[in-house]
Amino acid sequence: MPETETSAAALKPATDRAIGRWLTGLRRQAGAALPLAVLAPLLGGGLLVLQAWLLATVLDHAIAGGAAAEALLPGLLSIGALIAARALLSGIGEAAGARAAERIKLALRRRLFADLLARRPDWTAARSSGALAAALVEQVEALDGFFSRFLPAMVQAALLPLAFAVVILPVDWVAGLLFLLTAPLVPLFMALVGWGAEAASRRQAQAFARLSGYFADRLRGLVTLRLFGRAEAETAAVRDAAEALRQRSLAVLRIAFLSSAVLELFAALGVAGIALYVGLSYLGLIHLPGTALTLQTGLFCLLMAPEVYQPLRLLAAHYHDRANARAGAAEIEAVLGGLPVASRPATVAAPPTRPVAPPPRSAIAVAIEDLVLDTPDGGRRLLDHAGLRLAAGGSLAILGASGIGKSSLLEALAGLRAAEGRILLGGVPLEALDEAKLRARVAILGQRPRIFQGSIADNLRLARPGASMAELRLAAGLADVLGFADALPQGLDTPVGDGGLGLSGGEAQRVALARIFLRNPDILLLDEPTAHLDAVTEARVLDGILRFSAGRTLIVATHSTAVAARLERVLRLAGGDLLPAPHPVRRFAPGSAA
Amino acid sequence: MSNLLFFAPLFRRQAGRLGLALLLAIATLAFGALLLGVSGWFLTAAFLTTAAAGFNLFGPSSLVRGLSLARILSRYAERLVGHDATLRLLAEIRAWLFASLFPRIPFAGAGAPRRGELVSRLTADVEALDTAFLTAVIPLAGAWALGGATAALLGWLLPAAAPAYGAALLLSAGLLPAALALRSRREGGVVVEASGVLRSAVLDGIEGHAELIAFSATGRAEAALAGAARRLAAARRRLARHAAIAAAGAQLCGGLALLSVLWFGLRALQAGEIGGPLLAGLLLATLGSFEAHAALLRNVARLGSATAAAGRLRAIGTAPPAVAEPARPIPLPPGAELRLDGVTYGHDPARPVLRGLDLVVPAGTRIAILGPSGSGKSTLLALLLRLADPQRGVVRLAGTDLRAVPLAELHARIALLSQDAPVFLDTLRQNLLIGRPDATDADLWQALEEARLADFARSLPQGLETPLGEAGRSLSAGQARRLCLARALLSRAAILVLDEPTSGLDPETEHAFLADLSRAARGRSIVIATHAMLPPGAVDRRYRLVEGVLEPLD
Repeated sequence: MPETETSAAALKPATDRAIGRWLTGLRRQAGAALPLAVLAPLLGGGLLVLQAWLLATVLDHAIAGGAAAEALLPGLLSIGALIAARALLSGIGEAAGARAAERIKLALRRRLFADLLARRPDWTAARSSGALAAALVEQVEALDGFFSRFLPAMVQAALLPLAFAVVILPVDWVAGLLFLLTAPLVPLFMALVGWGAEAASRRQAQAFARLSGYFADRLRGLVTLRLFGRAEAETAAVRDAAEALRQRSLAVLRIAFLSSAVLELFAALGVAGIALYVGLSYLGLIHLPGTALTLQTGLFCLLMAPEVYQPLRLLAAHYHDRANARAGAAEIEAVLGGLPVASRPATVAAPPTRPVAPPPRSAIAVAIEDLVLDTPDGGRRLLDHAGLRLAAGGSLAILGASGIGKSSLLEALAGLRAAEGRILLGGVPLEALDEAKLRARVAILGQRPRIFQGSIADNLRLARPGASMAELRLAAGLADVLGFADALPQGLDTPVGDGGLGLSGGEAQRVALARIFLRNPDILLLDEPTAHLDAVTEARVLDGILRFSAGRTLIVATHSTAVAARLERVLRLAGGDLLPAPHPVRRFAPGSAA
Repeated sequence: MSNLLFFAPLFRRQAGRLGLALLLAIATLAFGALLLGVSGWFLTAAFLTTAAAGFNLFGPSSLVRGLSLARILSRYAERLVGHDATLRLLAEIRAWLFASLFPRIPFAGAGAPRRGELVSRLTADVEALDTAFLTAVIPLAGAWALGGATAALLGWLLPAAAPAYGAALLLSAGLLPAALALRSRREGGVVVEASGVLRSAVLDGIEGHAELIAFSATGRAEAALAGAARRLAAARRRLARHAAIAAAGAQLCGGLALLSVLWFGLRALQAGEIGGPLLAGLLLATLGSFEAHAALLRNVARLGSATAAAGRLRAIGTAPPAVAEPARPIPLPPGAELRLDGVTYGHDPARPVLRGLDLVVPAGTRIAILGPSGSGKSTLLALLLRLADPQRGVVRLAGTDLRAVPLAELHARIALLSQDAPVFLDTLRQNLLIGRPDATDADLWQALEEARLADFARSLPQGLETPLGEAGRSLSAGQARRLCLARALLSRAAILVLDEPTSGLDPETEHAFLADLSRAARGRSIVIATHAMLPPGAVDRRYRLVEGVLEPLD
């Protein structure tokens, strides 16, 4: 196989800034949920000011004014109402954040998948399916915290400290000024938090990721390690690697945690500073013009002091969500070769379905002229100006060694692979054919057909969504699927595919063949349709194929001379060209209907 | 919870550090609450003092400053100690998992993770488990300790408010987390399940891409993916909603505690039982003691998934081994003849892949097993290495039933190049040495020559010491394959089992390797499964595996 990474790596990797822009661009997918997630905590912050004010007032009236507890009951009830409202708001905000993140991830997954399917199948085939699946499942998931937590926290950190300072200013200008002075420093704080917390979380994440990578790497090769007698050595090595990681990361963390200590310092100094300032003012040890602190205002300032710094601490706590999201986006970009703009994919047009009753068919002639075909990486030429003519309704076997290009030729004929030269179906160039018409008339059976999640019947209906049970059974009988399906307790309704019953290679191929029969095409392209089958089953399946293909054009790539013997013409693919081959002597095939 | 307790012995080894982290966490919380309380008390007392001269300013102000500093220091120490313990735990859990996995691989049968899911699941589960203590258990225990202390303080100074405070604490740090952990564990299971379905839907699209296009069925695949993704999103949304409701509930509990202290405090003040400064102090301390609860609940949601992760890891770590070591092992006699008699095997015993298969491989012969992928070639090879035992029939090596032979001796006699043989994150040399730890440089280069990789290795600036990237990414698929082939050739085993050794190689290299197979074998037996064209003389005998039995081809 070629160096499949090259084409992806050749694309210019997105810069950090581009990834950041892409991430923030995604937020539009969230609809109203994201603004709600951002607004709810801001509103909660406003209510918090009210709550602190009321609490200070109640205490002031009780302690300084000697008011009776019962007289203060309305105040207490108001505080209770405010607490309830704030709890409600924070719950709504949190749930809205999660809803926003889920919407964005859903839209992105659909978009990435639609983009993937819109490519030519040979692009997908050349890539690791595990990595592609991980990009759509895990890497998209990594974006979650960025929208559900980080973005709301960032807005709070940018607005709330400043807003609190402005509110406190008219209450007591010294305390207000203290906060307001720190407020212009908020961007600085944020940079400090960002720099420190990001560095910390990045290093921590890197260290964990490196160990996880090592761990995953060894897990992947567990069987190999065991068979080479390395079980104990590797268990010790895993422990040593984790220990080495601990020592290295602790050295880093010692410094990295300092940044959060700085934040704590501000939070604690805020409380202590206000307490001392207010206390000393009361004692008359500090007296600044224009301040007239009552117990009410003093307590209010004290209650607000920790809250001014709280949004910053929250931001620091969620900073790693940003790092995770960026790493996820970078990985998606690397695997898929670009970052799409997530938008709801246009509603897909309903797949063209053919009427249940077989439509009037017209067999189609196949011709190729000067066809040039390379391996997907362009490393090797498979077909070099090859030509072929096959009359409508004719049947042809193509022989040739493995890897010589038989499968690629069939894929090119089905328009699933890029090729130079001309391919004519019924005299019409392939590229001039309407996609829907092409797909309705040409069917191809690959060497490794995919069995999808769902029942056997679901897999068959992929070819014709509205097919009746009778039609399913007809096609399934022709392809010898009923031979094994009827022995299963659930018959054609047996779940297969990932997480279902594992079909053997031969069974999967017969299901795929039945799928093609159900499709009712005019041209059949079959790649090694009987490769998995013993001689008796092969003959039976071949009978089915020949019975079905009467009046249709049939091209079969095969190793089997038994198959070739039953088709009208035989060509051999060698040296980049299709050469006439002697027709194999037709042998008696057991079970043959002929 | 019993699943988490299963791992208690591993946690216990870090008990000292975890305990210290817990103490520091409690101290941090307590210093924070005290700082608020003392500030409130000091401020109110200062307000009520008429003569500044009579007020002991030094005590409270230095207490306020001291508490601020202590809080910062204990918070810093808490994080450091906690991470140290977690990192140590990480080593313990991973080593435990490795030691438990080796005898149990490969997994088969019901309950086994889906293909491709094992590595990501295990990695995520182990991570969920080793951070559970740091993110959930310590804060939860801290909340209880501080809450208990505050309740006791109230019981002494403001007894009337203590019951309501206690109830709020019980609800906020007891019932809510328990309910949330239970719910999130159930939803967490749904999330894991839905992620699996989503992954399969994605794989359907990737591996069935050509079919979907050919059937104009991409719309249906997109609908299937959207359905799976929606189900996952809905489960995760429910999970988040539970956590949000619980966090809001914790906030309400904090409010309840605050109001009860305020109400009973006001009455006590009115009755002259406590002074204004004490009331302000108690009130602010109450606020401080509930500060961490909402964040705590967010982490408790993770505790639910950690418990589920622990359950899955426990299931894997205690599963019966795929094959059992013989109770009374017979030493393997010399010889390398392989003989299979009537071997029947299927991952699902009801649908065997091999059906009464017979095969003899005399010592020193080379045989090829042909057949399309999916026909059971790899399964057959796995039985030769006793990665599974046949359901019927016997596999014998040197005349001895494999089930009677110690596994280590068996694996020293037979080496396997599997289809998914990995390139490890290590140097080229270390990757090769896995095949034979005591190999000399000359041995290594010879194996590289035989695998047609020597020219490439010589072209590397660092030669054998070249580190190979993650999952061998710096190598092409063909080079990675040849490296694994070299590793297998290096082994001292008398029998080499090669599963598609030339996949990923271009036809010329493939042909050259196969033509040279008899020389690379150096008298060893070779069982090779392939669908490549074999040059004449490459093997002594060829078989085709079809419908569970071998048909001789020569």
